Amino acid sequence: MDLIDFSQIKSLQDLDMLEKELDAKDMECDVRIKDLLSNRSDLEFQLRSLSKKLSNLKPVEAESQHFAEVIKSTALLAEDVSAKVRLLDKAKNRVSECQQRVNDLLDLQQCSEGVATAMQNEDYEQAAAHVHRFLTMDETLLKHTARDVSEGRTMDASFHRLHDAENQLKKVVAEKFDEAVKDDDLASVERFFKIFPLLNMHDDGLRRFTNYLSTKLQDSSTKNLNEARLTRETDKRANVIFADTLTLLFEGIARIIEIHQPLIETYYGPGRILSVMEYFQKECDTQSKLIIEEFRKHRDFSKKVQIVSAYLNQRSETKIDAKEVDSVLNELTLLNARTELYARFVRRRVTSDLDISVTDEAEKNAKLKNVDRLLKDGETFRVMQILLGQYILLEQYFMAQSVQKAVELDSLIEGSSDDLFVVTSVTDDVFFIVKKCIKRSLVSQSVDGVCAVINNACGILESDFADLLLNQLRQGFPSGYLDLAQAYSVLQSSLQHGKIQGSDIEKNRTQFVAYLNNTDVSMEYVAALKNSLDKSIQDAFGNNLTPYEKDKITNCLSGLSSVNIRLKSVSEFGFSQLKSSAVKPRVKPWLDAFFHSRTTYEIEEDEFQDDSESMQTLISNLDAFFKSFKVCLSPTTHGTFVSMAVTEIALQMEKVLLKVKFNRIGGLQYDKELRTLMGYLTSSTTWSVRDKFARLTQITILLTLEKVSEVADFWGKGPVAWRLTAQEVRQVLAMRSDFRQEDIRRLKL
Amino acid sequence: MEDYRFLFKVVLVGNAGVGKTCLVRRFTQGLFPPGQGATIGVDFMIKTVDINGEKVKLQIWDTAGQERFRSITQSYYRSAHALILVYDVSSQPSFDCLPDWLREIEEYANAKVLRVLVGNKTDREDREIPTYVGEDFAQRNNMYFMETSAKEADNVEKLFMEIAHALIEQAKAREPVPEYKGNPGQSVTLNHRTPSTTSESCCSRLL
Ligand SMILES: Nc1nc2c(ncn2[C@@H]2O[C@H](COP(=O)(O)OP(=O)(O)O)[C@@H](O)[C@H]2O)c(=O)[nH]1
Ligand SMILES: [Mg+2]
Repeated sequence: MDLIDFSQIKSLQDLDMLEKELDAKDMECDVRIKDLLSNRSDLEFQLRSLSKKLSNLKPVEAESQHFAEVIKSTALLAEDVSAKVRLLDKAKNRVSECQQRVNDLLDLQQCSEGVATAMQNEDYEQAAAHVHRFLTMDETLLKHTARDVSEGRTMDASFHRLHDAENQLKKVVAEKFDEAVKDDDLASVERFFKIFPLLNMHDDGLRRFTNYLSTKLQDSSTKNLNEARLTRETDKRANVIFADTLTLLFEGIARIIEIHQPLIETYYGPGRILSVMEYFQKECDTQSKLIIEEFRKHRDFSKKVQIVSAYLNQRSETKIDAKEVDSVLNELTLLNARTELYARFVRRRVTSDLDISVTDEAEKNAKLKNVDRLLKDGETFRVMQILLGQYILLEQYFMAQSVQKAVELDSLIEGSSDDLFVVTSVTDDVFFIVKKCIKRSLVSQSVDGVCAVINNACGILESDFADLLLNQLRQGFPSGYLDLAQAYSVLQSSLQHGKIQGSDIEKNRTQFVAYLNNTDVSMEYVAALKNSLDKSIQDAFGNNLTPYEKDKITNCLSGLSSVNIRLKSVSEFGFSQLKSSAVKPRVKPWLDAFFHSRTTYEIEEDEFQDDSESMQTLISNLDAFFKSFKVCLSPTTHGTFVSMAVTEIALQMEKVLLKVKFNRIGGLQYDKELRTLMGYLTSSTTWSVRDKFARLTQITILLTLEKVSEVADFWGKGPVAWRLTAQEVRQVLAMRSDFRQEDIRRLKL
Repeated sequence: MEDYRFLFKVVLVGNAGVGKTCLVRRFTQGLFPPGQGATIGVDFMIKTVDINGEKVKLQIWDTAGQERFRSITQSYYRSAHALILVYDVSSQPSFDCLPDWLREIEEYANAKVLRVLVGNKTDREDREIPTYVGEDFAQRNNMYFMETSAKEADNVEKLFMEIAHALIEQAKAREPVPEYKGNPGQSVTLNHRTPSTTSESCCSRLL
């Protein structure tokens, strides 16, 4: 309870308050005391029952102590029992070991007697079975046991005999196998092949067997290669005969694996295919090298490569005919494709064999690495890598030479029967060549090969072909009046003769237009090429591409986008040429004439013309101009051309307009004319004319105002943003001769 | 679409065994690969990095050094934005081959390509090429220079980041709208010699 500070009591009132406070506290205390007292009986009851329960707990404690004793003794007992069980188990094992050893001893006796008989009877399977049984025995243990039961001497003799038999059998089986090989007696070869693993001679057996099969391989490959050499040139397969020969070699190996894998698995167990493939790979390397050597010799290949690489490195001018390269290219891709196919076969076979035989991941991975090494560094594959490199070189040469030929043979052609726009043949030809080369590279089944050819194709398109287009457009579009009828007749006769006829100016014009169209069409072709290749790649590789490989090709294909970016810049260059030589020189005089024909825009109401003659003239000039280009430009090119012209018209018109004086009626007159012009232009282009004429439209609004103060109704209002600066607004208002300078100056903008 | 602002192609060349693949692995995967075989053809890897808040996608082409892969390798030069020419500081022969590699670069690459000389394996005790010799070679041939160790992760990150940085600078200097435009832009190296142009590449004279 707080102490009462009497010094704070200064009046009677304070005292009263204190009394009241104390009363209240007194009452509070009473209530709490009553509350506590009421709990008392309850608490007492609980205390009583607790002390009763306490007496009950005593026996529980005793019981649990007893229980713990019991558990302890049970545990001891259990330990005792399990020790006994362990002992029993050991005894049982000893008994069965003993039995085993007795069996072994009995078998040993039997084996050593049996093996001699079997050998005598040349029953090598039986003999090997005896030796095999003997080889599963633990020799030192047996000898130990035998000494214990003093059987030592007989058993030593048995061992001796069996060891002799084992060695002899090993020798005999090897000899018999070799004999069978010499006699080319397949049945015997297989017979003895099966015996090797019984004598723990797995590696030896596999080596001898694959050796035997390799000689078969060698025989047939030699025969095939001889036939290939003698193939007549008229033979359908003459051009790819070495690819065929290599195919036969690979198929031969595949067939051997197919036939003998079950035999090997049955007698040697799974997990042997990797070593089998390694053995065969030696023969495969030898044979494929012979085939490729013959290919090089027969096709005069090394010389071709030498000439081409010297030419491409600009070390020599000597060329060879693209056609000659063409056929050897086809064979090269086939050679590579077969090798890839074979590599896939080997990988698949070895991998699935390892899957079932090796459970340890680390061991499996190590073995898979061996497969990788076999398929990357093996001689066959090394030779093929060299060949692939040379293929890429020759393909590059072929592509470049064919493109050059296309350039030499370049001639005008019609775009299509409906439209008469001209292009030249080079575009179609170049894209045909590029597509052909890339598609051929797909035949090779080599991702790196495909990527390299795509890269080189992009190089030719982005550099050489785009340069060609650019250089043609650099010649420019000769200015001077382009007569529609004249242009048309030039076009007609050009198409008939395949060459551009007419005067130099006409020739150059047609040439320029054709190349502008070429550029436009090329961009479409690039997109089409990309789509077509996506599909061809899918067709060629199917599901054989890893995501990584797919990504690699996709990244190379993205080089085509760079090609289009370059073509776009070439096209822009062409249009800038056209603008400065054809559009500007034409549009400017027409606009000058338009504004000149009407001597003034300060006119009376009765001089207002609904149908402006000068605008009709301007429109008909423009119309003829657009139409003259419509016949020769491709639809997209024409669209771009008109859009560019419209921009130019708006720009030029504004320039001239700003020099003219207006009154309001004159402003309305011009407004009317501008609407007519915009109406016409809108009908001739799909591009937005309104946007290009935004400034002019806004100028016209100002020119048609009644009072200067009306500017406030428009400025900073309305749905469209003003394209004119405040300064320009004042400048335009000043063109109105009926507005006072000080009103304009006073405007708040 | 992936989210990146710039895409640059980086191509590594140089003799087999100098550590190109290890450099790329170190940079892209942060590890030093144990005994992988020699590169066959061309390997490629992508890594997107952040340079001053700009996402830059580096497309890295790791080429095989052996002669038999030369025509595959050459096809990647033309569109490269940066070329990294690698030698092994503990192997004089790998350094002696540099002029041959430069000749290749001159012939096939864009004249404006960013060229970087890298001396790798600085961790090795048996160094044969002192730093100043490499530096000097780089200077004489207008190349950037750096020494690295793929094994100890020395300078590897820095190498690629500086390349990305320099390429961004180039791209920005080239045009106001700094988006990837396919053909490499001007080199930021001070090039006193008249660079050969792309149109001198193998087949341009045909047209
Ligand atoms: N000591 C050391 N060894 C390296 C280094 N980089 C690569 N190597 C080793 O050099 C060998 C070739 O490396 P690799 O990257 O395959 O060379 P590449 O042929 O140029 O791709 C491998 O044995 C690597 O372990 C390095 O920085 N230091
Ligand atoms: Mg490598």
